[in-house]
Amino acid sequence: MIIIDKISERKNEFIELPDEKLSKKTSLENCLLNLFHWKEKKKEIHEKKIKVALKINSDEELIFGENDLRYIKMIQINFLNFKDGRPFTLAKKLRKKFLYKGEIRASGNILPDQFVFLLRCGFDTVEIKEMEKDTWLELLEFDDGLYYQP
Amino acid sequence: MYKYSEIDKKIVANRVKQFKNQVDRRLSGKLTEDEFKPLRLMNGLYLQLHAYMLRVAIPYGELSSKQLRQLAFIADKYDRGYGHFTTRQNIQFNWPKLPDVPEILEELSKVEMHAIQTSGNCIRNISADHLAGLTIEEIEDPRPWCEIIRKWSTFHPEFSFLPRKFKIAVTGCSEDRAAILVHDIGLRLIKDKGDIGFEVFVGGGQGRSPYIAKKIKNFLPKKDLLNYLEAILTTYNQLGRRDNIYKARIKILLNELGIEKFKEFVEENFKRFSNKKLILDKSTIKNIFKFFKLPSLKPGLEKVPEIKNSLFLEWKNQNVLPHKHPNYSIILVSLKSNEKPPGDASSIQMRKLADIADKYSFGEIRVTHEQNLVLPHVENSRVYEIWNELLNINLATPNIGLITDTICCPGMDYCALATARSIPISQKITDHFKNYSHQKEIGDLKIKISGCINACGHHHVGNIGILGLDRKGKEFYQITLGGSAKENASIGQIVGPSFSEKDLMGAIEKIIKVYKKNKIYEKEDFLSVFKRIGIKKFKEKLYDNN
Amino acid sequence: MINIANMAKKLEGHTFLLSANDLKTGKVLFYTSNGWLPELNKAIKIEKKSIEKYEKLLKIDEENCLIVSGRFVELNDSGSIKNLRDKIRSSGLTFKI
Ligand code: SF4
Repeated sequence: MIIIDKISERKNEFIELPDEKLSKKTSLENCLLNLFHWKEKKKEIHEKKIKVALKINSDEELIFGENDLRYIKMIQINFLNFKDGRPFTLAKKLRKKFLYKGEIRASGNILPDQFVFLLRCGFDTVEIKEMEKDTWLELLEFDDGLYYQP
Repeated sequence: MYKYSEIDKKIVANRVKQFKNQVDRRLSGKLTEDEFKPLRLMNGLYLQLHAYMLRVAIPYGELSSKQLRQLAFIADKYDRGYGHFTTRQNIQFNWPKLPDVPEILEELSKVEMHAIQTSGNCIRNISADHLAGLTIEEIEDPRPWCEIIRKWSTFHPEFSFLPRKFKIAVTGCSEDRAAILVHDIGLRLIKDKGDIGFEVFVGGGQGRSPYIAKKIKNFLPKKDLLNYLEAILTTYNQLGRRDNIYKARIKILLNELGIEKFKEFVEENFKRFSNKKLILDKSTIKNIFKFFKLPSLKPGLEKVPEIKNSLFLEWKNQNVLPHKHPNYSIILVSLKSNEKPPGDASSIQMRKLADIADKYSFGEIRVTHEQNLVLPHVENSRVYEIWNELLNINLATPNIGLITDTICCPGMDYCALATARSIPISQKITDHFKNYSHQKEIGDLKIKISGCINACGHHHVGNIGILGLDRKGKEFYQITLGGSAKENASIGQIVGPSFSEKDLMGAIEKIIKVYKKNKIYEKEDFLSVFKRIGIKKFKEKLYDNN
Repeated sequence: MINIANMAKKLEGHTFLLSANDLKTGKVLFYTSNGWLPELNKAIKIEKKSIEKYEKLLKIDEENCLIVSGRFVELNDSGSIKNLRDKIRSSGLTFKI
């Protein structure tokens, strides 16, 4: 899998570890945590002021406390099904309600035809198969920046 | 009529290219059917029983003669020479081929038309009162508002993958001809202390669980329209059920939460997310309204002359309405002759009608949700002339609002979801009651027929509703009585066990008999009698074996 | 009509035809000894026990972008199509247009 933004491939600075390795790890810096682990380690993250990334599934509810977002460098929203449009609203909420400035990434079952919508709702990057990269970037060419919505 | 701006043109042209790319990827196998399906649906392309079907948007039901001619051209070149007008004021072609569809879309774009969001789980074509801008009692023309909503909802990045389809209708009158109370959102323009704004209804719908919409806002200022719609859609997109397709419409969410709780969410989203750029300022509104001015109408005869021709007089009586300009009339063109499925028009009829519209009605045509057409501005002095021309193309059936003016979905003849046929039923009814004076004696009566519980034929809100069912491989029809889609909207009550195809006409006859016997004054209509006497008398007659 | 997604286990009846729509034209096709053809009377009759083999075939032809919306059409004891939808699907509209 590779990460692309609207221009090209990006280096993935986050690592996702299986449970057993995660528990042995001394620093969580730049680890991609699922909702369960994130809740579990929240105290530690806040105390040590560690920056992590959070991965949630499109059907999971995200409830934040004050300051939580400060330590989340990246939020990865994993589409269980590309027809499930909830992440579009979630991304909008993150940007507009929580004024989240970090990276928002889409992964999972998504189509290149959704790229423009994703970007317009506040996503920055997508995680895709390397062989699909050209199609994803090609389809962006249909985007001429003309939209009815502000 | 609305004219595309440069932006509209580019957006539609771009969409054509994009869809061509999607079709190419499908044909070469880069997209699976599962992936392609939502993409093609968002572009109005279905796969039915025998072929693909393309649904073309007719925003708020308004067509120009040029557009109608182009539809005729498409019907001939890419289809089988006809089109079907739907209950959401759109048109469907029943036989296009997949590789041709991008080309069809290109032909449509030449006359400022498209198939965007005519299907799929997104905000569908906005529908409106087909007499918008034509009646005296109207508070304000709904069409400019539909156009404003059309733009906002087109390719909305957040709302293109909703839990389920989403339909919005707008009316500017207290009399409801747009069935706003059976839409996901219904908007009615109202006046409050001199200000005009919207009364907002939400959660209406038909299908498996029919609901009449509930009022969520007594008065919404015009400027807030889009932000408020956005707040409703945000709530729905986030909370609407996605675990069960039959429970995914907003009506179910609303009923699970209760209107008060639902409203709290909406108001919260409205407060939190209101986007300054979505606030409609006066000049934006004014600019859109400019497109919908009446054409310049000239003085003439106060009344339509009473030519001594009984056929003409029947038609005039039934299909001609007064225009707000005293020297003009509104003509309703019935698509319910006994020769064609309801709502169908041949390419020849479309072309001729386009000519007639040019000659008599400023090139304007409208589509009604009852699957008829309208010629909006015809001089009183020329009504007889136009009747003659309509008669020549078999478009002068005098039955608007009568028992043979049925609403009918395509049913099992076309639709892969159907449980029974509906068009042959409608044809039987049209045949059985074809005598005008018999129909007239029965008076205003709406029969609505659906081929399955999805209710595209609006059977729940028919005065007489007919629902096709499959009983052990045989077609059966369930009858509901007392439904209405008007301002007094109600869901029909099931009268009892369903009828076989063979027994259905007899049952309808009996219903009509009960109605006739129980009217207390000559013009008392079916609905009023039903409300007065209730369902029991009908039941007794229908299931009495003696 | 029985959708392929429901798989063989759910099929009632004993004999079937294999049918689908042409991906390009949308036309109704039947599986015959000469491949996919519009002629109903050339369709191969399939016994329930060999359904799985045809399921695989269907999947391959779907993946090869030949057909879409594949399904097994149930036949009754006299060998004609059992349910109304499949009948209409194979013989066309039931009224004149
Ligand atoms: S009501 Fe049923 S049969 Fe009729 S068009 Fe809708 S889905 Fe098809």
